[in-house]
Amino acid sequence: MDIQLKRGLLDICVLAAIKNEPSYGYQIIKDIKPYLEISESTLYPILRRLETAEQLTVQTAEHNGRLRKYYYITECGKKRIEAFRQDWNEILSIYQFITRRGNEDE
Amino acid sequence: MRMNREQFLTALREHLAGLPQEDIDRSVDFYREMIDDRMEDGLAECDAVAAIGPAAEIAAQIRAEAAQTKPILEKIRQKHPLKVWKIVLLALGSPVWLPLLLTAFLLVLVALLLVLIFYMLIWVTLIVFYAADVTIAAGALAGLVGIFAYLSVGNLPGAVVSVGAGLVCAGLSILLFFGCNWMAKKAQLSGILIYRKIKSRFKRNAERMG
Repeated sequence: MDIQLKRGLLDICVLAAIKNEPSYGYQIIKDIKPYLEISESTLYPILRRLETAEQLTVQTAEHNGRLRKYYYITECGKKRIEAFRQDWNEILSIYQFITRRGNEDE
Repeated sequence: MRMNREQFLTALREHLAGLPQEDIDRSVDFYREMIDDRMEDGLAECDAVAAIGPAAEIAAQIRAEAAQTKPILEKIRQKHPLKVWKIVLLALGSPVWLPLLLTAFLLVLVALLLVLIFYMLIWVTLIVFYAADVTIAAGALAGLVGIFAYLSVGNLPGAVVSVGAGLVCAGLSILLFFGCNWMAKKAQLSGILIYRKIKSRFKRNAERMG
């Protein structure tokens, strides 16, 4: 997939992965992997970016005798998902425009 | 090259040298957690490390990302002193705000002190428990010595009782030792947690002021 497109989608995917309940890094990767290629080194800057944008917050908690960071979605993060869903209708009509043009060429 | 977790994290730290210490710590913490989670998922340590990728590449990515966000952060930081100074001037200029600010400051100080005292109490309790453990262990040793003492005067029942008492003491002290270790580990982890919570709270307040 196009890098720019993927970048935008990944942000939303990470927010979606923590939308219903807080989650941690490895779980987020496992949740997204079936749909989009994602690795630790891709996730790390996304999490930082979303934290700076206050779309998620981080809390450290104990797990099996070590510390693990859990990510919580904020109101701002939920709004971002909602905005994406609204954008999607627009994207769909653009997609139809693109495919129609493609068919006319043939 | 096959690496274990600590080798990988040390290599990452070295490749990140020059970045702010906070950024380095944060990155290393993140990748430590990732390796630990993979291992918990059933991967062998070196496989978990290999799955992450080469430390040099990861460090290069983190550096590239830091170079992008740095100018923005510096702009924010430059704003801080001005705004904080404005607040200080406002507070000093108003006779109402100064005592209020001072009270708030003292309250925060007292709260911090209380947390510190409470945390120290936990450790003091632990030390007392450890001391008790040593005493019981000494009891077990005394039981051992007691056997020979009783046997040397030909008192067999006394020796048997001494063996029993010694064994009970030994069992108790071993149990208590593991209990203490478990509690110490918990106390250590919660100490780190409390420290981070306080730190992040202060940072958030500082950001709000800026």
